Amino acid sequence: MLSRPAVSVSASSSAATDASPSLFPLNTSQFSCQANSKVLRFLGNKKLPSLNCRTIGWRRSSSQPKSGSMESFTARATAQPLKNANELIDSVETFIFDCDGVIWKGDKLIDGVPETLDMLRSRGKRLVFVTNNSTKSRKQYGKKFETLGLNVSEEEIFASSFAAAAYLKSINFPKDKKVYVIGEDGILKELELAGFQYLGGPEDGGKKIELKPGFLMEHDKDVGAVVVGFDRYFNYYKVQYGTLCIRENPGCLFIATNRDAVTHLTDAQEWAGGGSMVGALCGSTQREPQVVGKPSTFMMDYLANKFGILKSQICMVGDRLDTDILFGQNGGCKTLLALSGVTSLSMLQNPNNSIQPDFYTNKISDFLTLKAAAV
Amino acid sequence: MNGAKSAAQLLTATNVRALFDSVDAFLFDCDGVIWKGDKLIDGVLQTLEMLRSKGKKLVFVTNNSTQSRRQFADKFQSFGVPVSQDEIFSSSFAAAMYLKVNNFPPEKKVYAIGGEGIIEELQLAGYTGLGGPADGDKRAEWKSNCLFEHDKSVGAVVVGLDPNINYYKLQYGTLCIRENPGCLFIATNRDAVGHMTDLQEWPGAGCMVAAICGSTEREPIVVGKPSTFLMEFLLKKFQLSTSRMCMVGDRLDTDILFGQNAGCKTLLVLSGVTTQSILEDPSNSIQPDFYASKVSDVLELLGE
Repeated sequence: MLSRPAVSVSASSSAATDASPSLFPLNTSQFSCQANSKVLRFLGNKKLPSLNCRTIGWRRSSSQPKSGSMESFTARATAQPLKNANELIDSVETFIFDCDGVIWKGDKLIDGVPETLDMLRSRGKRLVFVTNNSTKSRKQYGKKFETLGLNVSEEEIFASSFAAAAYLKSINFPKDKKVYVIGEDGILKELELAGFQYLGGPEDGGKKIELKPGFLMEHDKDVGAVVVGFDRYFNYYKVQYGTLCIRENPGCLFIATNRDAVTHLTDAQEWAGGGSMVGALCGSTQREPQVVGKPSTFMMDYLANKFGILKSQICMVGDRLDTDILFGQNGGCKTLLALSGVTSLSMLQNPNNSIQPDFYTNKISDFLTLKAAAV
Repeated sequence: MNGAKSAAQLLTATNVRALFDSVDAFLFDCDGVIWKGDKLIDGVLQTLEMLRSKGKKLVFVTNNSTQSRRQFADKFQSFGVPVSQDEIFSSSFAAAMYLKVNNFPPEKKVYAIGGEGIIEELQLAGYTGLGGPADGDKRAEWKSNCLFEHDKSVGAVVVGLDPNINYYKLQYGTLCIRENPGCLFIATNRDAVGHMTDLQEWPGAGCMVAAICGSTEREPIVVGKPSTFLMEFLLKKFQLSTSRMCMVGDRLDTDILFGQNAGCKTLLVLSGVTTQSILEDPSNSIQPDFYASKVSDVLELLGE
């Protein structure tokens, strides 16, 4: 049994001490409970149940079978600090990386990322980048990677803007129907690339409403889907337009790129995220959307299909428990939490947290240092 | 189904007298009952006059937070309907009263996402309101060295209907709730849609409230219908007994539920957002005691 650390490790990558894994308690007789992953698949902005079995004194020895007699729970072991990076790397064929908080923070590249990606590629690993950010198209993200000096192609990038278009394609959304967009340029570009007609987007940000008697707001009856994502030009006009389409056009779909509560637009602070705009439409339509971004498994299924890979051969690397890690778990792949973004070690270990990744580490360049240490 | 309420009865000349005699006070919703947008609904003036002449107490309870009680009284005046401020309970007033009743410290500020009504009621109650309509023209900036500032002394965010909703307000409210310790999140109401104009429905406060729920991952304290806060408040003020009250409204999940939660009689009017088919739809589980096409049916059926 390893002893508790004398020094607590800070979450921010700059202040992190060397994440010597042997300092972390590995008390395998304690488990965190986690509700059945199917229940957690529908996340929205619901609070996850706090089912920490430590609080009810439920203990198990490591020799007992993992799946317990608890009816609706799948017990998951507490996250392990990454010790043997080689073992993890060898056990998977593909790494899926979240971007914000894993590859970059705002507009700054996180230390050691280029070398890490190069190393993984040299070992024959497929790299994929999945981000819930819908403001840019894959092409525009490709440029961001390039600007930061990273060797990543457009085809390796899957933003939730792309996911929305891919989803419509996958359900054979008719080309003669239109899509109303409450969101930014990235969504418009991806819809255009996929051959769909769209309305709305940033330019509706300038439209004003005057609630006067006799005023009737018209809407296009051919709109067959409303796509909602992060929108800095959000306003009442758009909410009403989207609401009218969803409520009055028969069979109109309500699609959300993602439901992140907050996002790190600038690395200095949090900003209200897509979950806010999506919430607004849920409030006015009293309907729940089809979510295409993390933690919904749509993108995971899409990737597995596209590359012909098994999900057990994938490792999801992210900084957010309720999107990235849940995404990986829902999809049935391995999960690695990077503490270089929004989640700190104390948040991971908080009794209220019920999402436990397989592993955690300070930042992805630990793949290089831990690998070296293991030799 | 256990405890299932029997289906609503159509108000007729036969049953209206019993209802009338058993009620000392009529509570009216406004949008869709008294007016629709800026048009007074037919026969309302005469019906209210008749009720007053027969000694019935009238109270107006509206989830509309865009205006203050004073402004609503002016609106009634403009229709030629004499109603005093004290008879009006708007959700803007409810928000301010909630803070007062719970001893919200006056040195703390309140950030409002909503209309002038909220700001005015806050001021009348002795509080400092920030935001409101003034923030409708503000824009956020995303430069790398620019920080979006928010007042650390904000102790409550009040969210209501806001046709001038924008990202700046969402962000400001979100930061206050997430970062100011103990900051309250109050919703005037959660109506999904309403008849802001007479010709169609528009997104209601439920939209703005859900937007903030989405970014804060918190649920609000709701002060408007169907929450019983307003009811408790006016019961104290008028010393009425709920069994001698009738709630008249156009919305099942706010007005009728509000009345039922408090033990009042309930009358649904079909002059607003609810149609007969919605009332009778199998998926609807809220059954008022009575329903009628509009408020003036009471007058006609009574033959007064």
